[in-house]
Amino acid sequence: MNETDLLILDAAERLLSDICTTEAAVRYEQGQVPEDLANAILDSGLPLAWVPEEFGGVGGSLALGFELIRKAASFALPLPLAETLVANLLLAVSGLTVPGRWTALGYDGGELPVAVRGEVNGTIEMASGAHEASVIVVPVLEKGHLRVASFAPSTIDMEHRRNLAGEVRTRIILRSAIPSQLSGRIENLTEDGLRQFCALLRAVQIVGALDRVGELTLDYVAERKQFGRALGKFQAVQNRVADIVGETALAGAAVQQAVRTVSNAERPLRGDRSTAIAIASAKFVAGEAAQKVPENAHQAHGAMGFSYEYPLQHFTRRVWSWREEFGSEFYWSEYIGELIQDEVQSGHGDSVLGKAWDLATR
Amino acid sequence: MSGIRFNFPAPELDQSIYDLRSEVRTFLREEICNDRFTPVTDCWCAGVDLDFSRKLGQKGWLGVTWPKQYGGRELSALHRYVITEELLAVGAPVHAHWIADRQSGPLILSSGTEDMKRNILPRIAAGECFFALGLSEPEAGSDLASVKTRARKVDGGWEITGTKLWSSGAQHCQYMTVLARTSDPLEGKRHEGLTQFLVPLDSQGVAISGIRDMSGLMHFNESHFDSVFVPDDSVLGKVGEGWKQITSELALERSGPERFLSTFIVVEHALVRAASDLDARQAAIVGGIIARVRALRAMSLGVAALLESGKSPDVEAALVKDLGTRFEQDVVERLRAFRPILWKSGNGDVLDDLMTDSLLRQPSFTLRGGTNEVLKGIVARGIGLR
Ligand SMILES: Cc1cc2nc3c(=O)[nH]c(=O)nc-3n(C[C@H](O)[C@H](O)[C@H](O)COP(=O)(O)OP(=O)(O)OC[C@H]3O[C@@H](n4cnc5c(N)ncnc54)[C@H](O)[C@@H]3O)c2cc1C
Repeated sequence: MNETDLLILDAAERLLSDICTTEAAVRYEQGQVPEDLANAILDSGLPLAWVPEEFGGVGGSLALGFELIRKAASFALPLPLAETLVANLLLAVSGLTVPGRWTALGYDGGELPVAVRGEVNGTIEMASGAHEASVIVVPVLEKGHLRVASFAPSTIDMEHRRNLAGEVRTRIILRSAIPSQLSGRIENLTEDGLRQFCALLRAVQIVGALDRVGELTLDYVAERKQFGRALGKFQAVQNRVADIVGETALAGAAVQQAVRTVSNAERPLRGDRSTAIAIASAKFVAGEAAQKVPENAHQAHGAMGFSYEYPLQHFTRRVWSWREEFGSEFYWSEYIGELIQDEVQSGHGDSVLGKAWDLATR
Repeated sequence: MSGIRFNFPAPELDQSIYDLRSEVRTFLREEICNDRFTPVTDCWCAGVDLDFSRKLGQKGWLGVTWPKQYGGRELSALHRYVITEELLAVGAPVHAHWIADRQSGPLILSSGTEDMKRNILPRIAAGECFFALGLSEPEAGSDLASVKTRARKVDGGWEITGTKLWSSGAQHCQYMTVLARTSDPLEGKRHEGLTQFLVPLDSQGVAISGIRDMSGLMHFNESHFDSVFVPDDSVLGKVGEGWKQITSELALERSGPERFLSTFIVVEHALVRAASDLDARQAAIVGGIIARVRALRAMSLGVAALLESGKSPDVEAALVKDLGTRFEQDVVERLRAFRPILWKSGNGDVLDDLMTDSLLRQPSFTLRGGTNEVLKGIVARGIGLR
């Protein structure tokens, strides 16, 4: 990240710590969009971080965007900043107009809708960001090639639901829907690449939320006293905190490595093998951490952590949602295993002995 | 809000790193193809082959970071990292020289006399001189500061008396670094008054006897020191400052690839057996192992990069060892989905033997070099709970 990136991050951090409280998350879950927060974020230009300057964006690096996403998750930001970043990126790479408003990601890793002669058919089970968005961005297939379509929300069939964290996820049914914009064929964007990119997004969010779970736990056990001592003085409690810190650090390292790999890739959305293995690993390890870290954090918090009022649960429910979205640990571990099998069967590389190590170091 | 977010930067890779890796890989592939060594699990603690150690010395792959005048090549820590991880990944028999190359050589470099540097380091780099660690004792394990071995000042040197326990590989070693009390512990200052000595194991009064471990190997030893005389210049660093020395070496010792790759060779052989026909469950198991090993490696390399830039990532290093050693145990359990572990090793089936030996060796992973409970204590202290 360069100097400008760091300045942007700094500003984002200040903005979030000033106005993004967990009360905003509570209100959001009750159906109120936190307008002040939403406007402040739109005004800051953060949702345009991945849009090149010539399209009116910030032109920031991929690393910057992912860092913003991690930050936002550590505040349980109840707005689709991450999804808007990706949707805007898709608009930008396909040469479509990027609005200065929230945009929705009409993609959940499942089958893509199909475009035929300008009409789109298909179902997206879990679009994200569609509640706030002024534009729904939907990657579609036409004759086997990816294009990007955008729709005005009023023109399509949407059914809003909430994931277990209370974030809006939307079923979108497109029946001969006519997009307001439809791009040409996009080179260097594949379905695999897109799925991986979104999986990395969720992995980064998980790590961001876990950063906060660790901080909350550390603060709690330092303050709460039982048997005349702070909980954190008991070795059994210390061990739980150490496990939280360790699992989070491990997931953080995997995510950092995947972000580096994607950032250094010539075509980050193509889904090449090197990015695939890095992202699959990151989502897997983050998914595992999404189980282990909350388990320890809740135990260390006692009943307090189980209350709705106390902030911990917002982060817990988020990581439990995000680990499932865009491929769980089960999906991505099998994916890596199949990658190995595929390379062995196709004789890629010269021998099976050393294959695991080759993938570990690639 | 307390900050506990860690950063694991990418190491700086240049062409020489890639070249070195492929050079080492090519060499190892040839050795394996020609059956010059049998792959061993936990090879850095269980694979002894003096010829192989010497061969690595001839290749110039030991002591690579040390000054040229002492037999080194003045390469970076990352060069050493690449060499060691490639050796570990194939289960090469590297135990004989491991401690000398990783730990004792650097200790001599930082705290030894010019004489030691000139006489000993080139022999370590040649793969001909091996070291054992004399820390643990019958009464001193996790609580290392309670060692009872005494060094008494005598004319021209010191006289060491005591018993060291569990010292790995001492039967092959020329030297042991021995931690001894040189003055009585003062109230509240029990970490003072400890000193490390370089003791040639052929000294008068040294008696070493092997201890068989549960995997059947004569791996560690009991070493008796009965009024063993060592001259004044056998003191490593300053008298009374042994504790500081030991703890400052630890970040490097704790975060290396040997803390998560001890059983990786088994994954390779399980794949050799099954890779062309994995069922979904097996694919997920191998995939999960690869994912986790990649994460651990990113962490471990991150610590190496932090060390290289002059930082002291003690907490990060303790985390690598805690997570890594539990992972290498877990690998064995997960691979049971490929093959049950039924037979005593020695039946001639490579995979069976590797699985059995791994299972029988894995209890040691979370003990040696400081137990995981001790490591968690370091983490707790690092984040302000202790
Ligand atoms: C394969 C192997 C090779 C070894 N090689 C060497 C060597 O070359 N040189 C050498 O000097 N030593 C060596 N050791 C010894 C090793 O360093 C010790 O085993 C280790 O430091 C633990 O000491 P201990 O075995 O006496 O266990 P103890 O210290 O008695 O501990 C037993 C258990 O109690 C726990 N425990 C102890 N204190 C606490 C506490 N305060 N809080 C919570 N839990 C606690 C420990 O974590 C452990 O689980 C080796 C050990 C093994 C297994």
